[in-house]
Amino acid sequence: MTDFYEWVRTSLQALAQQGTLPQAFEYGFVINALLCALLIGPLLGGVGTMVVAKRMAFFSQSIGNAAMTGVAIGVILGESYTEPYISMFCFCILFALLLNYTKGRTQLSSDTLIGVFLSVSLAVGASLLLFVSAKVNTHILEAVLFGSVLTVSNTDMNVLLIVTCVVLALGIPLFNNMLLASLNPSLAHARKIRVELMEYMFVLIITLLTVACLKIVGAVLVEALLLIPAAAARNVITSLRGFVILSMIISTISCIAGVLIPMQFDLPLPSGGAIIMVAASFFMITTIMRAAFPAYRTARN
Amino acid sequence: MSGPSIQCQQLGLSLGGVDILSGIDLTIPAGEIHCVIGPNGGGKTSFVRSLLGQMPHTGNIEMRWNSDAKQHTIGYVPQFLDFDKSLPVSVDDFMAMVCNHKRPAFAGFSRGKRELAERALERVGLAGKYKTQLGSLSGGERQRMLFAQALIPQPELLILDEPMTSLDNRGEEIFLSLIEELRSQGVTIVWIAHDLQQVRELAATISCIDRTLVYVGPPQPFLDSDTAAKLFRFTRPHADTAPLSALASTGSAQ
Repeated sequence: MTDFYEWVRTSLQALAQQGTLPQAFEYGFVINALLCALLIGPLLGGVGTMVVAKRMAFFSQSIGNAAMTGVAIGVILGESYTEPYISMFCFCILFALLLNYTKGRTQLSSDTLIGVFLSVSLAVGASLLLFVSAKVNTHILEAVLFGSVLTVSNTDMNVLLIVTCVVLALGIPLFNNMLLASLNPSLAHARKIRVELMEYMFVLIITLLTVACLKIVGAVLVEALLLIPAAAARNVITSLRGFVILSMIISTISCIAGVLIPMQFDLPLPSGGAIIMVAASFFMITTIMRAAFPAYRTARN
Repeated sequence: MSGPSIQCQQLGLSLGGVDILSGIDLTIPAGEIHCVIGPNGGGKTSFVRSLLGQMPHTGNIEMRWNSDAKQHTIGYVPQFLDFDKSLPVSVDDFMAMVCNHKRPAFAGFSRGKRELAERALERVGLAGKYKTQLGSLSGGERQRMLFAQALIPQPELLILDEPMTSLDNRGEEIFLSLIEELRSQGVTIVWIAHDLQQVRELAATISCIDRTLVYVGPPQPFLDSDTAAKLFRFTRPHADTAPLSALASTGSAQ
């Protein structure tokens, strides 16, 4: 794949030098970030509709925060400072599966349990970061927290590409089952859907996606990109198809604009922050549309 | 086609140290309507969820299927659909969700599934509501949509968990005629019911469950008994003169 990335970079850089594309395309890291944005935009937008439908926004936030702890563990164990993927994936998957396992075996409400796990994970992460901060430039940690287009490498793109394939392979055929299992578990079970397995699959999808998107959007903000485009789309859409498509479009535009706008206008913004601000503007627009035009208020509240 | 008979032996269920059901021994005949009645909190829903294999019950539940098919079909109509009413999911989307095998509902129906879904929706009187959002349906319409999904594929065993709760008169008529139609096709129907008049008219057998099995058998003797009157607390405005049977016929479970 490295040759393919190189070919794309060289071609686009040549077009930028000819003046066909904006000047920002002359930089290889911008093209890397845009390639990632083109993958994570539709993916986060699509999966985000399920997050909203299944009311799992808080869960995805906890995974983002757990990734921070994963980074600290990775650095301590001697992984690359910039790409501690093994630790991040292992810790986040363990965190997510343990959380889901406990959820099914306690009387506690979902948000209380996630709050407990989130706090423990942050406490462990903060403690480990004390050791890590002596070893690593704090800018690397900032990049993990808030995203940075400068640090996207070929490895990051490969990881994202693999995760995209896995998420599509799992998410598309299981979409109906996962949604029905959240609407009415009894009904889903009666229709021979393995409800608990669907929960685990969805948790796994969110975890893989969150870790793979860290470099662009950041650990703190990746949950927002799962949530905001879907919430914005829900304001003005009345069908599932429209919901998924509009959420994907908003998310993709947000990712691309969030990468390009700071470059184009020399704004000192982290890519994650810029992406979320663009997505938030879409949310505000659709909220105003819903408030202003009764046609968008079809569902009973 | 003929539905299964169901035999429960010493069925028990305990959740969090509390006995929900104990010592249930009963047989539900094949191809008939069997109503499950009982007071609120008596364990009726837990009983049908045990039949569906969704509860960690003790004892034995045996379904004796009359067909040789590898996959037997159980239709289930839950009491309600708990969901976020502002979620942009239309009736069509919901039906695609339950009909499609692998194709995600947002991509539309798989080949041949749209016709199936539309026919089922017509049968429950929801033709023309295909594009309506679930949140915009009335409680009764949503219940009818849940009945429609239970018809795909045609069930051999149909389990209804208080399906009439939010239905209007027309909805009730549609439900009752469909239940009768399915019974005539040999489908076994297990129906948690609250309207004792409907139970009296439609059920071939009933079981009354109040944590334990109070009664199993034909409806008439039980519904006319003092036990039923006490259990369901029939209002008896003319207790001195009205026969218990007349009161039972107009009463409903508390």
